[in-house]
Amino acid sequence: MSTSLIVMAVIAVILTLMYNSLVSRKNQVENIFASVDTVLKKRYDLIPNLVASVSKYMQHEKSLLEQVTKLRADANKPNISDEQKIALDAEVSSTLGSIMIAVENYPELKANENVMHLQRSLSEIEEQISAARRAYNQAVTDYNNAIEMIPTNFMANAMHYRRKEVFEIAKDQRQNVNVKELFN
Amino acid sequence: MKSVSEVTDFYYKTLYPTLKKLEDDRKHLKYRIIIVGGLYTLGFFLIFLAFLDANSSDFLVFLAFVYIGGGTFIYKLLTKDYTGEFKNKIIEPLIHSIDSNLSYLSEMHISQEQFNKSELFTKLPDKINGNDYVSGEIDGVKIEFSDLHAQIRHKNSKGNESWETMFKGLFIVSEFNKNFKGKTVILPDTAQSTFGDLIGNWLQSNNFGRDELVKMDNIEFEKEFVVYSTDQIEARYILSHSLMKRLLIFKQKSQYPVYISFIGESIYMAIYYSKDLFEPSVFRSLLNYKIAMEYVKTLHLTITIVEELKLNQKLWSKR
Repeated sequence: MSTSLIVMAVIAVILTLMYNSLVSRKNQVENIFASVDTVLKKRYDLIPNLVASVSKYMQHEKSLLEQVTKLRADANKPNISDEQKIALDAEVSSTLGSIMIAVENYPELKANENVMHLQRSLSEIEEQISAARRAYNQAVTDYNNAIEMIPTNFMANAMHYRRKEVFEIAKDQRQNVNVKELFN
Repeated sequence: MKSVSEVTDFYYKTLYPTLKKLEDDRKHLKYRIIIVGGLYTLGFFLIFLAFLDANSSDFLVFLAFVYIGGGTFIYKLLTKDYTGEFKNKIIEPLIHSIDSNLSYLSEMHISQEQFNKSELFTKLPDKINGNDYVSGEIDGVKIEFSDLHAQIRHKNSKGNESWETMFKGLFIVSEFNKNFKGKTVILPDTAQSTFGDLIGNWLQSNNFGRDELVKMDNIEFEKEFVVYSTDQIEARYILSHSLMKRLLIFKQKSQYPVYISFIGESIYMAIYYSKDLFEPSVFRSLLNYKIAMEYVKTLHLTITIVEELKLNQKLWSKR
């Protein structure tokens, strides 16, 4: 009698620990995503200023500027999912990267105090975003491992936890940093 | 900044006349130490024989302590002039040959306040001493370092005091090139290398004296170090991919355990050599290549840290 009670108590403790660890992983992902969101917003806030400052000169890159403005509008829509935010982030990063490279072809822009200020602010935010992405990816990896590995996978299934997507860190992202270093 | 081989050249060429003179002093000193040491030991041995029958082991232990204490004192006294000469005429010029803007004070050391601020060790030391304090600015980045020996006092039930070394080696404080608010501490990874990934990771995440464990996305770095931080994102903001690579290279070059923390405005680094550095060798020649390289390499590694870790590439908002 007492042994079966002990066994049941042990099982209850194990189940509670598993449940708690799953919930804490899920919350960790959400917490970090909130921080990712904050830095992404900071970058979106710079876009209108950037577009306004460079559009006068960048006649050939009109489409790039339109694209980045549209992406920003999309990102500011209410109720977009985390997956959409991740996808938008990748697009914004690559478009902004192209704009920054294009700025190199305009000596007037390179001499413009405001543009240079924006460029530096952007590259600082870019570093913060990169750190936030890496933290998010680690949290998601821990979470995904937990919901796929024995024994927590059974419970995760019962709790309807699904795999989450990580940010893909594109190759050209790292090159952005190099472009920045040219100015230092 | 000069390379290691240029500094080695400087050691053997420019400093050669001084080395030659010091080398003569060293030989004389060596004989003096051997003679004084021999007489001293003989004296104690006679006292020891006289009390051997007394059957009081406590007294013999006391005698052994007196022997060691007295011996250290006599050794220090004998080598004092030679050490001072060596530091002024060899170590100081060596430092200036690497960077002429640095100032050197052979008797000073990094303050206990700085050591405590680093939070590299979970306990606070009861006693700190050291020497060879170097400070200054390299490429606009403030840096200071010194030899340091931090100890903790233990008292047993009998009231006997004993001292435990918590750190002995080189302690470096420098400005960091990014802004941050939290605290990030990087320690040598002993758990993971001893117990493997699974148990090691579990042990690391349950280290109660520390903040949250941060798993880094560089496998080699993760193997060598363990990172704790108050902020998961900030830790990665500080430890960019390139800084992780540079720290790994630094660790490989130093060949000793390296402790690093980022707190306030600064990066703190402690390299656990477990010996007093920049002291003149008494029993081996100063012209010995291995001995020379120890001085040259350690100084070079430390002074070039600003360049190696790119601490001079300040973020624009920090300028």
